[in-house]
Amino acid sequence: MAEASGPSFPTREEVDFVIIGSGAAGGVMAKELATAGHSVVLLEQGPHLQAADFNHDEWGNDHNQDHMWGAPQGHPQTFRKSEQDQAEERSTVCGYAHNVGGSSMHFSGNFWRFRPIDFMEASVRGTISGTNFADWPISYEDLEPYYTKVDWEVGVSGLQGPWDPPRSREYPCPPMPIKGPDVLLERAAKSMGLTPYPAPVAILSQPHNGRPGCIHCGFCNGFGCEVNAKSSSLVSMIPLALESGNCELRTYSTVFRIETDDSGRATEVLYFDREGNQQGQRTRAVVLCANGAETPRLLLMSESDLFPDGLANSSGMVGKNLMFNGYSTVVGMFDEEVNGYKSVPASRVVHDFYELDPELGFYGGGGIDARHPSRGTPLNFALSVDQMLGGPSWGSEFKNNLAYQFSHIAAFDGHTTSLPLESNNITLDPFVRDRWERPAIRCTYMDHPDDIATMEWFYNKSVELMEAAGGSNISGFYAENGQEGNVHLLGTCRMGSDPATSVVDANHRSHDVSNLFICDGSSLVTSGRGQPTMTIMALAFRAADLINQAAQRNEI
Amino acid sequence: MLTVPAIMTACRDAQQAILSGDEFQTLTEEEANEFAAMAARIIPSDETPGATEAGVIYFMDNVLGDESRAEILESLKSGMLEMQTVVALDYNAPYFHTLDATQQDAVLRQIETTPFFNTIRYLTVAGMFSLPEYGGNRNDIGFQLIGIPGHGAWSPPFGFYDADYMEKGE
Repeated sequence: MAEASGPSFPTREEVDFVIIGSGAAGGVMAKELATAGHSVVLLEQGPHLQAADFNHDEWGNDHNQDHMWGAPQGHPQTFRKSEQDQAEERSTVCGYAHNVGGSSMHFSGNFWRFRPIDFMEASVRGTISGTNFADWPISYEDLEPYYTKVDWEVGVSGLQGPWDPPRSREYPCPPMPIKGPDVLLERAAKSMGLTPYPAPVAILSQPHNGRPGCIHCGFCNGFGCEVNAKSSSLVSMIPLALESGNCELRTYSTVFRIETDDSGRATEVLYFDREGNQQGQRTRAVVLCANGAETPRLLLMSESDLFPDGLANSSGMVGKNLMFNGYSTVVGMFDEEVNGYKSVPASRVVHDFYELDPELGFYGGGGIDARHPSRGTPLNFALSVDQMLGGPSWGSEFKNNLAYQFSHIAAFDGHTTSLPLESNNITLDPFVRDRWERPAIRCTYMDHPDDIATMEWFYNKSVELMEAAGGSNISGFYAENGQEGNVHLLGTCRMGSDPATSVVDANHRSHDVSNLFICDGSSLVTSGRGQPTMTIMALAFRAADLINQAAQRNEI
Repeated sequence: MLTVPAIMTACRDAQQAILSGDEFQTLTEEEANEFAAMAARIIPSDETPGATEAGVIYFMDNVLGDESRAEILESLKSGMLEMQTVVALDYNAPYFHTLDATQQDAVLRQIETTPFFNTIRYLTVAGMFSLPEYGGNRNDIGFQLIGIPGHGAWSPPFGFYDADYMEKGE
């Protein structure tokens, strides 16, 4: 038997909604639809872990892939840089946690809102040839009330900064205490005339909504929170969905097809239960929130005579326009103890470079925050420090370096834009299959030259900041040859007004299947500046609101 | 707190276990001796305890028993034989672990770019810094090495610079 919670709906009778995926978007969707009185079946392919299951186990998390899942769990993926290449099998390319709460369980919690420019940048900045750079069908003003819902219902700590978009209500929790790397960044940035300010995070600085404040253990990024201070959908939304009495959570349920009838409406969601038995849940509507890699895979797998190129794919855009966000990191050593491994990943951000000057000759923008390199966890650090800082990789000197550097290092990280390209995409691998015989996710990705130029620009700016901070032994990294994987999985079922160039409309209803809604990272039209989860949750609150309104009008 | 007697005890336990050779679930006695000797040069025991005292070899024995790492284990077995060829040619000896530290370092410098060495290095570092429940990092020796006294909750100030910031107000 799959683990069951809440009511138990018969599979052969229609429920109002089947939600596929319980992550950042799916968790919000489940809470909003179930508390509005709809019957909801929430399907999640992983387990329902709780705070007591979370610890500081780097080996289990990273090397056994206990949460991320990959080849060891029977979920290999494949990667290639271009369609001309043969894709190579990898353990993981597109990373996400397989559990209730999805990747919001193990994310770092950086919660920047997008700004007005993000939604209309193609108009303001101009389109970019060879790309699908486009305006969104909604504006910041449309989304603002839902950003505020995320702040208060999910729980965000921060302080309105000089560059932040207007907000209708203050943050519910004050910013996190400043950390060592962030002091170094703030002082350096101010000396350069910049305006650093407290980084907004989905981690509670004080008790809120019955959850406790952060204990600063430092194991945020890649780990579940052991005290429920991190504002995942697991702890902020799922409990409310289950308490409503209208939501049945089915864990270890792996969806392999959305069934449609002759009229082209979705009727049933087919999945394997934990024992591998095929199940089918009948439903009046489907809400797909499986993430930017799993969502397009499922649509492509759900092809039929009526939908020969995959469900909801008359535009051909399902799986296309994958955006990872770019990244750069610069590390430096300091004379005193920085101890950046304690507390949340980042407590200050420099957002003066949200939009780079077009005169530079390339498109891009982003933010810089301060961190402990390689996430601040001991094993991850010890395995990578020799590559970051040079020096021997074994022997007494290596050991002595480890002992000193862990507490004396700081990193300034750039988080940057990615352009939407049809050539960056998710497709079904023709050869490799997962443990359920589903075609493996095949990722084809090569950063646009502008994306790489942007990473390089942020890398160089971070070097300047690190020098101004007084760091020594400065070195760093950006993906000058293109990224080969990421955990930001954006754009693969983009929103748009035109059914010829987008998968869902401004209300997240698919253009082709009237009772199929899609809302997750795949909905994003542009990439933002590197911290997408806040926007994914806000989109889910908005989409749920619109779905509830449509249901009231009997227009599902 | 990690005290000197605790380190000595851990050290003695580890050596005795290696010598007895019968505690390993996955590795043969020869493999355990060879890999443990390599680990002891990768993170040596000097002023502070190293891979030997941390029981890294038990971590290796544990995680290499996982079915998903069967291929890695096979590659380590063949890698060990190739290393022993180097040992035989250079020192006319059958085993790496019977060489002295200078000789061992010379052998490792010859093979340090091989996948075999890199895998042993990876497992050594992992055995040093993973949670003790996986068999290594005994008495939190790895965490102690990098200055984490325990690994639970913290409170501000976290380090020198934020303490200074709190004092000065910016």
